[in-house]
Amino acid sequence: MRLLMVNIFVFRRKIYDEYNDEEVELTKEETKLVRRLLKGKTPHADFDPYAPYVDWFKWEDAKHPLSNAPEPKSRFIPSKSEAKKVLGLVRAIRKGFIKFDKPKEEPRFYMLWGDDASSSEKTGHLSYIPAPKPNMPGHEESYNPSLEYIPTQEEINSYQLMDEEDRPKFIPKRFTSLRSIPAYENAVKDSFERCLDLYLCPRVRKKRINIDPESLKPKLPSRKDLRPYPATCYLEYRGHKGAVMSISTEASGQWIASGSSDGTVRLWEVETCRCIKVWEFGEVVQYVAWNPLPELPILAVTVGQDVFLLNSGLGNEEIQRKVKELLHVETPTAPEDSGNKVSGWSWCQDDEHEGIRLRHFKSVYSVEWHRKGDYFSTVMPAGDSKAILIHQLSKKFTQRHPFKLHGLPVSAVFHPTRSIFFVSTKKNVRVYDLLKQKLIKKLETGLREVSSISIHPAGDNIIVGSRDGKLCWFDMDLSSKPYKVLKCHPKDINNVAFHRSYPLFASCSDDCTAYVFHGTVYSDLNQNPLIVPLEILRGHASSDGRGVLDCKFHPRQPWLFTAGADSLIKLYCH
Amino acid sequence: MAARKKHSAMVPRKKHYRPAGKKKEGNAARYITRSQAIKQLQVTLGFFRRLSILKGIFPREPKKKFKGNNHTYYHVKDVAFLQHEPLLDKFRDIRAYQKKIKKAEAKKNADLATLLRTREPTYKLDKLVRERYPKFVDALRDLDDCLTMVHLFAALPAVERAKIDVELIHNCRRLSHEWQAYVCRTYKLRKVFISVKGIYYQAEIEGQKITWLTPHAMQQVLPDDVNFSVMLTFLEFYETLLGFVNFRLYHSLNVKYPPILDPKLEALASDLYALSRYIVSNTRTSTLEPKAASSSTSEQLEAKEKEMQGDESELRLAQLQHQLPSNEPGALMHLMEGAECENEDDQDTKECKRLFKNMKFFLSREVPRESLLFVIPAFGGVVSWDGEAAPYKEADQSISHQIVDRPTQGHKYLSREYVQPQWIYDCINARIILPTEAYLVGRIPPPHLSPFVDNDAEGYIPDYAETIKRLQAAARNEVLPMPGVGKEDLDDPQNLLVEGYISRAEANEAAQTKKKMVTLEKQYHEELQSELQGAVMKKSKQGSAELAKTSEEPVPDPKQIAEDIDTMSKLGMSRKKRGLLEAIEKGKERNTARISKLKERKKKLKSSEN
Repeated sequence: MRLLMVNIFVFRRKIYDEYNDEEVELTKEETKLVRRLLKGKTPHADFDPYAPYVDWFKWEDAKHPLSNAPEPKSRFIPSKSEAKKVLGLVRAIRKGFIKFDKPKEEPRFYMLWGDDASSSEKTGHLSYIPAPKPNMPGHEESYNPSLEYIPTQEEINSYQLMDEEDRPKFIPKRFTSLRSIPAYENAVKDSFERCLDLYLCPRVRKKRINIDPESLKPKLPSRKDLRPYPATCYLEYRGHKGAVMSISTEASGQWIASGSSDGTVRLWEVETCRCIKVWEFGEVVQYVAWNPLPELPILAVTVGQDVFLLNSGLGNEEIQRKVKELLHVETPTAPEDSGNKVSGWSWCQDDEHEGIRLRHFKSVYSVEWHRKGDYFSTVMPAGDSKAILIHQLSKKFTQRHPFKLHGLPVSAVFHPTRSIFFVSTKKNVRVYDLLKQKLIKKLETGLREVSSISIHPAGDNIIVGSRDGKLCWFDMDLSSKPYKVLKCHPKDINNVAFHRSYPLFASCSDDCTAYVFHGTVYSDLNQNPLIVPLEILRGHASSDGRGVLDCKFHPRQPWLFTAGADSLIKLYCH
Repeated sequence: MAARKKHSAMVPRKKHYRPAGKKKEGNAARYITRSQAIKQLQVTLGFFRRLSILKGIFPREPKKKFKGNNHTYYHVKDVAFLQHEPLLDKFRDIRAYQKKIKKAEAKKNADLATLLRTREPTYKLDKLVRERYPKFVDALRDLDDCLTMVHLFAALPAVERAKIDVELIHNCRRLSHEWQAYVCRTYKLRKVFISVKGIYYQAEIEGQKITWLTPHAMQQVLPDDVNFSVMLTFLEFYETLLGFVNFRLYHSLNVKYPPILDPKLEALASDLYALSRYIVSNTRTSTLEPKAASSSTSEQLEAKEKEMQGDESELRLAQLQHQLPSNEPGALMHLMEGAECENEDDQDTKECKRLFKNMKFFLSREVPRESLLFVIPAFGGVVSWDGEAAPYKEADQSISHQIVDRPTQGHKYLSREYVQPQWIYDCINARIILPTEAYLVGRIPPPHLSPFVDNDAEGYIPDYAETIKRLQAAARNEVLPMPGVGKEDLDDPQNLLVEGYISRAEANEAAQTKKKMVTLEKQYHEELQSELQGAVMKKSKQGSAELAKTSEEPVPDPKQIAEDIDTMSKLGMSRKKRGLLEAIEKGKERNTARISKLKERKKKLKSSEN
């Protein structure tokens, strides 16, 4: 149509008639007609589409209706479908589905907590734990804090090196006036995080512990009441050139012997600090032990693979004669049978030091005497099944400890009153009955490496020191687990010792200290032993990372001897 | 059958093996993980989250986490509580209805869609509010987060992508203003602190300390890593809660809620002022109603009351136009009520009410108007600002303080002081009128300290806190100023007094420390002597010729002794107690480290100054 119009105007009312293949020129009337058609009007201008209606049918004179059909019944019956619709509406109105007046706007807020008194009904569910309130801001969060709250630039830089967890989340800033405060960039984030905390964090009601730290400490009897105990250093025994490995007190308490890494064993008078006698061995002296009998002043010394039994030369002639008799080996070598030969221990006379030399096949670590002074045990940690030997001095006889050791042996001790033998390996302590030849008990220390063991003079309690600085107290009647573990030293414990008569025990360690404890054992079995730490003894200096190597109590007095790696022996008195 | 049952009852129950189909026991029976809970409730995670936020259900910590550490555990009862919530069904209905609308839209049935939209089901949270907070005090106790969030959203821009629409923000603004108007009107505000994060306010209502944070009036940034749907769910509940709380509070003032504000003031965005006016006028009308009954009471009492209230009310009248209708006949009832109210007020409220009494403030354009308009009237001050509908103009001669926050002030009225806004806040926290010298225009004000810190417990007291303490002490001793005397005249004697006090206090302190030092020294000497003597005596007792006498035995260091005693007492403790003690000690150590750092910095600053 548009094309046509264009044609009309551009080509002066000329139209190509395709059918007749000719060009037709429209007359003026014809173009007018086309235009009217385009406008949607009638083609002829004089035609009136809205002429008034004239009914051509004349009713007045007609005698009959146009249709003679009777009125249908349906015209007289009410509509069923309409009735259904009405019924539906009626029902809807009755049920309140259709409301004619607009619903009243209820006020959004009302008195929710009108009567607080009646609202104390118990809710059936779990207790509500209110969320903890956020922390209150401190001085440093102020927009204008005191200058000392503002970290320096170096400190701020150092925050970057910190672990992300430790890094302070808020760095104080200072603005000199209120107008210069910028918007806080984390405002929304902080709020969001609080939201997350509120609905994601498990809440637990925790009692706020506001305990006085003093109240945590156990109520122990006053130290003053537990006197006497060694507290201060009174004497020093100087003379050794190397670390003093071991000391031992004579039964009477008049003498002490010490073995050192400079290869000497020295005999000291306690009161005067005088060195009475020196034995030279030329090799590190591991261990010294006095015979517990006062009438047999014999000293057992371990040097490398040998155990020497030395005559200390003390006592009157009677005693000396007895000792010399004892320390005499008839047959220089005593391999009685082939079995011993293989194992290779031998009793022989040692003329150089006027004693007996008891040769072992591996280096000997320690010697412990039986209370009667006839037997003594030696420990060779590398000796496998023959690591622990029990020797009899009077018969110059040696026998093997007949039980399998589970682990490396550390020390072996006789029970102070009964024929019971304690062997401690690195982990456990085993208790054997020597008469019945059987295992009585196994004490589980739970320690990493046991270093020393000591038996209470009554025999029912033992203490065990370990290389991880812990001291275990075992009550044999109570359990095979420690009654108490005291973590007292930061470094290895080298030795532990009980006092023979006073309720004291001590531990010494490589951290150059020795602890003195009070340890009462009650005769009433129901009462647990009372353990009170009494004193920390200092004074030794460290050398080569080693501190106090040995500690022994005086047999009568509440005095403690300590042997240090700094070649000193100290006596602590009350 | 019975016999069998008996028999089975006799058999001891096995603890560690649960046959299939048997009930669970212990923690596994009492707690379920979140995914289990979702499965049980047959909802999506989003639904569950929304429901648990609205209901205030939170995870709990079972003693034994039977499914591992990285699960969230809910108590079975909590989940059952959610399951019986009518809102759960409501949410399901809404969801189904949304599907209908979606379907209509998908079928291009726009008429139906719009029709459905008009009839969308809605839900209300009032039951939940009541359920979560059975008492009004409970609601007040938990209001901190609510207020902080509502105030934050009142300052946020409307963002379509985060579904934060304008109505929501307007609602938040309205609620926050209503709250502030109540606090301000009843003088319940206690502490204000301007921090970098915003302004902290603390009010005390019904014995509950309510602290909230409002952001600074700046354009807030909306981070991308924030899930706004979670926040909006919280906000939905908080809006309802705050609405009900406000209703209750307004009800206690005899004011109708929600308030209808003066449209003119509202248009000027001074809602708070409009609100306070509304409250004031409403309390008046409500109290005027029973006036007829009181006509028989004696005239004398009335006169007395009038005298008492006269001074205060005249000033307030200037701002609030008609707070105390002391001139109207039969206003006794109201006065009586006011008196009663005052009797009920605790000491704190009275003190707060009096702080800015007789002072008239004017705010310059650049100061944070909203905060100061809230704070100053809350402490009994009268305030106006630079703008339309302000109660009085800058030229008013009775203005005593003008709050200015600009480097220099051009034109100055001699009758008033030009102070920085921090002065107001510091005065409020100190509860005294501080000297204005340090806060004058153009000066760097003294440090603004947090009122929420217990300085003594903290262990470190900033210098300015001590100054304020002295000023407070001085103000307490001070004779109350005569009401007729001007502020300027008052300042000087007060300052003098304060200075005198300060010097006296310092002298006292110095003398005390000296005394202490002397006694300590004496004690130390005595101890030394006794020790030496004791040692000598013991030595002589030993009485033997000692070769290597330990003469150079060091005198036992008291510090070492104390340390020894400490370590020894620790030895006997159980591991648990020792751990606790060590934790306490560690905390103390951290605190002392912090304090020593502060002191060190202070020292450095001082040395660099000198």
